[in-house]
Amino acid sequence: MSEKYSEDSILTIRNLSVSRSGEEVLESISIDIRRGEFVGLVGPNGSGKTTLLLAILGILRPMGGEVLVFGHVPACKHNLGMVGWVPQAATQLPKNIHITVRELIRLGTLNQDNFLWRLMTPDIRERIDRSLEMVGLTEMADADLSSLSGGQLQRAVIGRALASDSEFILLDEPLVGVDRASRNSLLRLLDDLCHNHGKTILMVSHDLAAVTQTTHRIIYLEGGIQYDGPTEELPELSELANLRGIEHVHSVHGEWHKGGK
Amino acid sequence: MGTGSALMSVVSPFLESIAPFVPGETFPHYFSGLFQNALVASVLVTIVAGFLGSFLLVRNLSLIGDGLAHVSFGGICVGIVLGSSSPLWFALVFSTIAAILIFEMQRVEILTGDASIAIFLTGFLAFGLLVLRLSGGGISIDVEGYLFGSVNLTSEKDLDLIVYISVVSIISLSLIQNGLLAVTIDPLAATVQGIPARGLGLFFSVITAAVVVSMVQVVGTLLVTALLVTPAATSQLVGKSFRSCLIWTQVFGLTSVIIGIYLSAEMVAPTGSMIAVVAASIFAVVGIYQSLVIPLLKPGDN
Repeated sequence: MSEKYSEDSILTIRNLSVSRSGEEVLESISIDIRRGEFVGLVGPNGSGKTTLLLAILGILRPMGGEVLVFGHVPACKHNLGMVGWVPQAATQLPKNIHITVRELIRLGTLNQDNFLWRLMTPDIRERIDRSLEMVGLTEMADADLSSLSGGQLQRAVIGRALASDSEFILLDEPLVGVDRASRNSLLRLLDDLCHNHGKTILMVSHDLAAVTQTTHRIIYLEGGIQYDGPTEELPELSELANLRGIEHVHSVHGEWHKGGK
Repeated sequence: MGTGSALMSVVSPFLESIAPFVPGETFPHYFSGLFQNALVASVLVTIVAGFLGSFLLVRNLSLIGDGLAHVSFGGICVGIVLGSSSPLWFALVFSTIAAILIFEMQRVEILTGDASIAIFLTGFLAFGLLVLRLSGGGISIDVEGYLFGSVNLTSEKDLDLIVYISVVSIISLSLIQNGLLAVTIDPLAATVQGIPARGLGLFFSVITAAVVVSMVQVVGTLLVTALLVTPAATSQLVGKSFRSCLIWTQVFGLTSVIIGIYLSAEMVAPTGSMIAVVAASIFAVVGIYQSLVIPLLKPGDN
């Protein structure tokens, strides 16, 4: 356990550098996420958003710096199963399989201890029912995933992460393939998870409007962290555009990193 | 001594008791005496293949059954040249190695699934044939028997192997099915949950190899894909959940085998080919029913 770890600290990233296929995608990034925060991670394609998520999940190893999830390196025995992963449902789920919403959410209750032999205990059944209810799919529990709309599909995948009872939820572009009406209810769901169910959320999206609508805090990534602070203090989109290409120096909450010289 | 005889001592009296009620002239022999081994072997392999095939289909690995079957044929050639009385064990070793290498090559993304399967299919098959030819003309191998299936010739020893592999793989698949489904649907999410995606993938490859080898005897290499994929594919047409697809796969697989054996016995036709044709026909009938008849019955639904 690191001395930087406090009870409230869900994610601690210090001077993280990550390379993918020989190219340095992230260079000396520092982020702190505390319990109960709802953070939006935005930035253009290729800015390293996905790389950052993969580093937090422990799939990519840092070249430099460190990532601590609940005070420990990612995917070690102390925090395995404590992070819920919500991929972009529209593109990530295989199309050639019949599986119901309940079956998908049930998979979320698997972990390193019970994946070989898991009895359907009342506790697990209750967790599944609760997850179904939280994502509003109780009525559709026995529907085939292929019959769902984009928004419902994304809810089902969020339900799977909730079934694992993880406190920290990572979402990668959850709004892609979701129509406008469902988009708002999906954002309300995330808001509810954060405020009423004690979840800490890090959501990657390129939909800045959606992110500003719900999150408390925004991290703008483009060649390093360009902004990290309260959502309401985020500058105008035009200003964001102007900032492109400016090097960042240091992470100071709530201020633009006026980098360069 | 073997697992096969142990099973037969339990199953045989039951089969004999229903034999008098079985239709046909030759078909009853599959229930009393002569071809009992054949019937038991086919049914076992069908159950396992259906279970395994349900996962292969959703993992887009339908071709691996065919590939490993050819690899195992190469192994059989080598076993015969080395004078083994049970060349099937050589087939088992060869296809296990191939299955693991195919999985690893896909995992580290050296080659796509198709290409790596094709390399092992041709490489091992050709190697086996070369070894057979270079060892001197004395040895001949019943290529046709292996390619087209010779279920009626299932010996006690073959049955031992099939029973053993079937029991082990059904237990193994039952244990890993939830984890494997999670890994198949979303490897990253499964890894994050703490499920060992690579370990399960490797283990699944080994089971696949073992099952394919045990099937070579029953339906022949050319028809391995039929039992592995066709019932599972047919189940996709009617199933609404993963569980119901697993059950439908068994229904279609066992129906294909029983009808296939019956028709081949009565028409004196090759058993393996008949089973494959029946399985494909069931797929066609169900497909036509689903896509043509049901929309006609419910015109307002679309």
